[in-house]
Amino acid sequence: MADLTSQAFAAVEAPLAPSRRLGRWRAAMPRGGLFAALLLAAAVLYILVPMLAVLLYSVATRWTANILPDGYTLAHWADGFADARFRTVLGRSLGLAVATAVLDILLVAPACYWQRVRNPRIRPILELLAAIPFAVPIAVIAFGLLQVSGQIVPALQGTPWLLLPAHMAVAFSFVYWSIDASMAAAGVVGLTEAARTCGAGLGATIFRVIVPNVGPGLASGAILAFGVSFNEIALVQILAGDRFETVPLYTLNLLKSTDADFNVLAVMTAVSFAITLLLSAGVVFLNRSVVDKRRAKA
Amino acid sequence: MSTIAIQNVSKRFGDKLALDGVSLDVKSGEMIALLGSSGCGKTTLLRAIAGLTPPNDGRILFDDRDVTHLPTRRRPIGMVFQGYSLFPNMTVRQNIAFPLKVRGQDARAIGRRVDELLALIGLAAHADHHPNQLSGGQQQRTALARALAPDPAVLLLDEPLSALDAVVRLHLRDEIRRIQQAIRTTALLVTHDQSEALAVADRVVVMRAGRIEQVAAPNVLYDKPTSGFSAGFIGQRNALDLPVLDGRVRLCGTSVPAPAVDTARALVFLRPEDVHRMDAGAGRRARVEARIFEGRTTRFYLKVEDEEGALDLKADWPSRDVEGLATGDTVHVGIDPRDVHVFPAATRATP
Repeated sequence: MADLTSQAFAAVEAPLAPSRRLGRWRAAMPRGGLFAALLLAAAVLYILVPMLAVLLYSVATRWTANILPDGYTLAHWADGFADARFRTVLGRSLGLAVATAVLDILLVAPACYWQRVRNPRIRPILELLAAIPFAVPIAVIAFGLLQVSGQIVPALQGTPWLLLPAHMAVAFSFVYWSIDASMAAAGVVGLTEAARTCGAGLGATIFRVIVPNVGPGLASGAILAFGVSFNEIALVQILAGDRFETVPLYTLNLLKSTDADFNVLAVMTAVSFAITLLLSAGVVFLNRSVVDKRRAKA
Repeated sequence: MSTIAIQNVSKRFGDKLALDGVSLDVKSGEMIALLGSSGCGKTTLLRAIAGLTPPNDGRILFDDRDVTHLPTRRRPIGMVFQGYSLFPNMTVRQNIAFPLKVRGQDARAIGRRVDELLALIGLAAHADHHPNQLSGGQQQRTALARALAPDPAVLLLDEPLSALDAVVRLHLRDEIRRIQQAIRTTALLVTHDQSEALAVADRVVVMRAGRIEQVAAPNVLYDKPTSGFSAGFIGQRNALDLPVLDGRVRLCGTSVPAPAVDTARALVFLRPEDVHRMDAGAGRRARVEARIFEGRTTRFYLKVEDEEGALDLKADWPSRDVEGLATGDTVHVGIDPRDVHVFPAATRATP
């Protein structure tokens, strides 16, 4: 998750930098400008170099003493996607992440709307719930869940049916803040009252007025939840273990083993990076379109 | 259009009484202005009529039909909000069509009605714009058209003009009145601006602390306020705190009976246009402290040499009559006792 947010921030900063030629830019900047530019460049390198290295390794025949690989091949990609374990792991992670995102949105969006329109008094409770995943280490949450589920539903341990609600709970904060902010920005209370005075029932109010106006918030909440679930390892390891291997766990297992094909591991890592990058770009794009709209209004 | 009967309506928020047994009858096709300072309950009353804030006690009837607990969406109302509350995802046309669509009218009838309303508010050229492409005045006209689309029996306007700048406000104020009179819908307008209330309403309801202080036609309210509060709220008056001697108040050479006052001091209201210039020798001498040109009239701040001591008065005189009059000059002023309104002290409004 940490790299997802840092990438998102880097991508937010990037459009702020002037797109003109560097010379003119430098002339217009005060003395601190060069330092800022270097810092930005360093940050970009810090993020991009490891990703590029992984990508290169995934298409390298052999990589010995040189700075670049000795030769290039797509064989590792073919091997990876031909491997049943590889496909199962990727499919599981994608399925789990999509389910987490969809169910979290279905759970949080109505609660958020209800809190704003009908019952503002539940707000402190929702805020407290949203703070828990930040305040308590994930490993502690995981062991807590393990203990509780062992007493109530031991059969669910080692299955995705325990992992899914756990991921939903951990992703809840991101979904909540994202949706709540978009509802505040859209003014859902005023829109709801206006729709009611127009004669609209609950269905028309929600689907024709509210959802279209908080759409970007729902989408960016879903993307964040997907990212949390897709990259999460502590809960997977403790609650499911090797019986439900996901992408991060597969990566860890391969790194620990002695005879693994590290080129295939690089393929998996590259796929995972690509997904995370797309999601970050999605969040930035959606947030920027909201900001633009607000600017146009002002 | 329909009549509205508000019977003994009360609303509490926690331990604050926002509406305290309010009763009001609105005639069919009448435009009522609910006037008062913030927190007086005027918006709560409007929202109770809309069904957005159900009252704790009392009844609300439209044409003798009890609607007190009817859901908002089933009430024959149209409402315009202070912050426009247009749907940002819809164009002007779609916004106006929305109330008709949710009522399940057929597309062709909706199209005709929307065209009619676009012409009425003069926004046909902007029909396919989104709200964020419109000025404040255009947005509020769109909101008015949306409220009028289903031909509501009751039109509710919640401070519709207060987010607009001065020129647009005056223009739209007159337009709202013109449209309301053209379609003869019953309308309630909430405002804290007394000139707005006097300009558009058939009757003005002055509210204070959850109660109705006075209900009267604008000219009656302007000429004969029944309480110190209404008098202080309406018009830019001289508000004077004067002693009562033998049941009379003396100022500017006249004395006025103060029948309703049994205190030692009285609150006296006098409109600036009722302070008259007199010939030298008549009335009281006054020194011009400041003059402010206001277009048709000029406002003078006067220091009057009265029997009880110096008296500060504001006077409005036609600008073309006072061209030579400068700060520091001496004038003579007098008043007609019939223009003086006397109320017990300590009921002064803070508009």
